Amino acid sequence: MKYNIAGVIVDMEPRFPRLRQQSRDYIYTGGADADVTIRLDEKFFRDRLAENPHLDYEMIEYIYMGSEFYNALIHFNGMLLHSSCVVYNGEAYLFSAPCGTGKSTHTQIWLKRFKDAYILNDDKPAIRITENGIYAFGTPFSGKTNLNVNAGVPIKGICVLERGSVNQIEPIAADDALFNILNQTVRPASEEVMDKLLATLDSVLRGVAVYRLRCNMELDAAETAYTGMNSSARV
Amino acid sequence: MKTKQGFMLRSVAGRHVVVAVGKASLDFNGLITLNDTGAFLWEKLSKGCTYDELLSAMLETYEVDEATAREGIDSFLETARGADLIEE
Repeated sequence: MKYNIAGVIVDMEPRFPRLRQQSRDYIYTGGADADVTIRLDEKFFRDRLAENPHLDYEMIEYIYMGSEFYNALIHFNGMLLHSSCVVYNGEAYLFSAPCGTGKSTHTQIWLKRFKDAYILNDDKPAIRITENGIYAFGTPFSGKTNLNVNAGVPIKGICVLERGSVNQIEPIAADDALFNILNQTVRPASEEVMDKLLATLDSVLRGVAVYRLRCNMELDAAETAYTGMNSSARV
Repeated sequence: MKTKQGFMLRSVAGRHVVVAVGKASLDFNGLITLNDTGAFLWEKLSKGCTYDELLSAMLETYEVDEATAREGIDSFLETARGADLIEE
């Protein structure tokens, strides 16, 4: 079966309900050849299960199909950003942070504050450099929640999210942004692939403003983030 | 002396950055930002060179006196060695 994920035609055969259901909206019926073929064999499942006894085959499929997809994405001017991505007024806002910081909590506040806002991908949106600009894409791989939409949306801003008692947002410099983004994506093992990722990051950082957002869980946090990314000058 | 295997210098968004790949990334998963001089010295060191070669390259390229050049190289090497980025 072929899927169109972030504009990449992926040939994969999900066996288990979780991934089958989450990838249903991404099924591709056009005539183009697959850009990427992903297969996980029986031995792969057994080995991963031995390493991660708390997982089952269904979760292994979901996690590792995703990770294979994001490894391949680097070859298509794209990358994973571990973040929760919310869309409002046709523009995407990505909030990136280590697990447990409150990315999803923050974007849920956006849904309360802004009518018609929606989650593009709650945990692992794809970023791609397209001819129309720098876009975020929903993918079937959205972490613990099934919140994802098959769409590509131009990115308005990326926030490095931290917990704080007051809500505050400020633009950050390119090296600070780069460090934080590299820590929230898959780091390629080879120099050749790292080169591709750094080229993508170069375009992303030239085209998209990156901020540090300190925020609490009040409604005002969404207001601060939105206003900050819609008014401040580029660094 | 030479920069360690697995560290690569690239220019990203107008900054010179060094990242680790492969085995080196197991020990270092951060990011090093270099200024222009630092990037110049790194470039030389990545191919392997002696202190004297660094010094003459520096004097050829930058309009500095020897004492200043030595100071720059020493401080760069001290930082790079401190971060375990150089093999002798």
